Amino acid sequence: MSWPPLTPLEWSALLLSLKVAGGCVLVSVVPGVALGWLLARRRFPGKAVVDALVHAPLVIPPVVTGVLLLAVFGRRAPLGAWLEQTFGLSLAFTWQGAVLASAVMGFPLLVRAVRLAMELVDRRLEEAARTLGAGRWRTFFSITLPLALPGFLTGCVLAFARSLGEFGATITFAGSVAGETQTIPLAVYGTLQTPGAEAATLRLSLLSILLALAALLVSEFLARRMRRRLGRRSGAEEGLP
Amino acid sequence: MKLAFDLTVRRPGFTLNARAEIDADRTGLFGPSGAGKTTLLLALVGLLRPDAGRIELDGETLFDAASNRWRPPERRGIGLVFQDDRLFPHMTVEENLLYGWRRLRPAQRRFAPQSIVELLELGGLRGHYPAALSGGEARRVALGRALLASPRLLLLDEPLTGLDLRLRRQILPFLRRIRDEAEIPIIQVSHDLEALLDLCEWFVLLERGELVAQGRYLDLLARPEALRLLHEPGLLNVLRLAVVRHDPDAGLSFLRFPGSAGEGDVAGEGEIRAPFLDRPAGSLADLALRPQDIALARTAIAGISIQNQFAGRVERILESAGRVLCVVRIGAGVDPARALIVEVTRHAVHEMALKPGDTVWCLFKTQSLRYL
Repeated sequence: MSWPPLTPLEWSALLLSLKVAGGCVLVSVVPGVALGWLLARRRFPGKAVVDALVHAPLVIPPVVTGVLLLAVFGRRAPLGAWLEQTFGLSLAFTWQGAVLASAVMGFPLLVRAVRLAMELVDRRLEEAARTLGAGRWRTFFSITLPLALPGFLTGCVLAFARSLGEFGATITFAGSVAGETQTIPLAVYGTLQTPGAEAATLRLSLLSILLALAALLVSEFLARRMRRRLGRRSGAEEGLP
Repeated sequence: MKLAFDLTVRRPGFTLNARAEIDADRTGLFGPSGAGKTTLLLALVGLLRPDAGRIELDGETLFDAASNRWRPPERRGIGLVFQDDRLFPHMTVEENLLYGWRRLRPAQRRFAPQSIVELLELGGLRGHYPAALSGGEARRVALGRALLASPRLLLLDEPLTGLDLRLRRQILPFLRRIRDEAEIPIIQVSHDLEALLDLCEWFVLLERGELVAQGRYLDLLARPEALRLLHEPGLLNVLRLAVVRHDPDAGLSFLRFPGSAGEGDVAGEGEIRAPFLDRPAGSLADLALRPQDIALARTAIAGISIQNQFAGRVERILESAGRVLCVVRIGAGVDPARALIVEVTRHAVHEMALKPGDTVWCLFKTQSLRYL
């Protein structure tokens, strides 16, 4: 058997899953950090509404989120039609659509992690940076973000992992097109529908579990390194195993 | 440096109302805790927006409520060393020191990092992280970081508080070095009169959010409202003297006012006998002397254990809170540093018929002198 020991279907589902999850983190990072900072540091009218909207995908059934996405970005929906005419970008039933669906689902996890981490960054350090001549942007990039880095990375890993497992919104909005939108969970569902493909289902499920564990391990490794680096500021934590 | 401000900060249960023009290079902002000293510093540096008023530095408007002008802290050129140091925990000492310096154009840099590292003796700490520093070391790094950012004006918020006596002794010499060697105007806040007297020439007194008085220390003593405030922590004479010679066997050091030719005292040498100080002849030392530890006499007194006896002229007699203070100028000159504040009873003033212009002798024991 050739390496990797995967069938073409499994291989394409795996690569697609990684591509979609990576894309999901990439498109979420900038707005996620901005929104996390906004919610942690600023007061503005309608903050509660923004907060609720960001968190909505956590509580709305994923299928319904998919339906809402279709209603906004579908081919016949106003925004979807405009995107297709202007940029030739069609989201529904394409891998970009799968990225959008999982990004919406993973976004609250990223924003939450970033927000919590930034709330823990001592504002007085930001003030000190301002008196040393650093403007808002430089203060953010040299003080706030580095000190919130563990939370930021946790958020990215959570969004990545959420995307790997995303099913409901993706199948509703992007469908299950093999090689285009059929990520591992969708492929599992697909083989489950096919009589006599129990072995394939099992193998895909195993692959999915291995991928999830790998993501967890990577996140744990990063968190440890980060704690060691930032742990220097509080000697008390150093002594803990 | 010319700083002018007239500002109002309203907070629940507290209002700061301060108006002053400061052009001294070493200013002390003094007042009991809760007087609004830190609030004033935050307003000056731009971390707090006053509710009304204006702030001008060297003719530039930093804040003007009337025309809604506001310059953010990073463009004010005012440095602030916080009470709690606020070193960046994810950066080494070196990175902390260079944080502000790095973004300056070379022409804006007033110090070379090496000179600040030497001034504050930070060489061995460069690679350390703030968590590994002692309180005194962290304070020195915070001072160095603020200096290297090359501000036009440096604000120090209680640079000695939060440090125990040992650390105070460690930091004070560095503050003196900054005072003497860094050509940056400094405003420093403290409720510690002793430290301020040592480091500042101009005093601004705050109490309960109001500016009570400002001026030179000896002039403030002439004003009852200022005297009452200065009284609370205990008045002090601070003498800056030069070491002349030592007598280690007797445990004595002999010092004199720098530049004095040996006038005034009973032996005609102008030397003050102080506890032994392990510093070479010619070096300067600051000594504190409490007003109540000095006695006045009409003549020099022989056959007495008190050997510091200096002739002077009564310049002023002040009364405050039932206490009587005489300001006596030692020797012939008019140097304000050579005036002693002497506390006497009203009875003594009456008995000796003391009045301004009289010649008196100031007597104080060697043991009543303390090195700062």
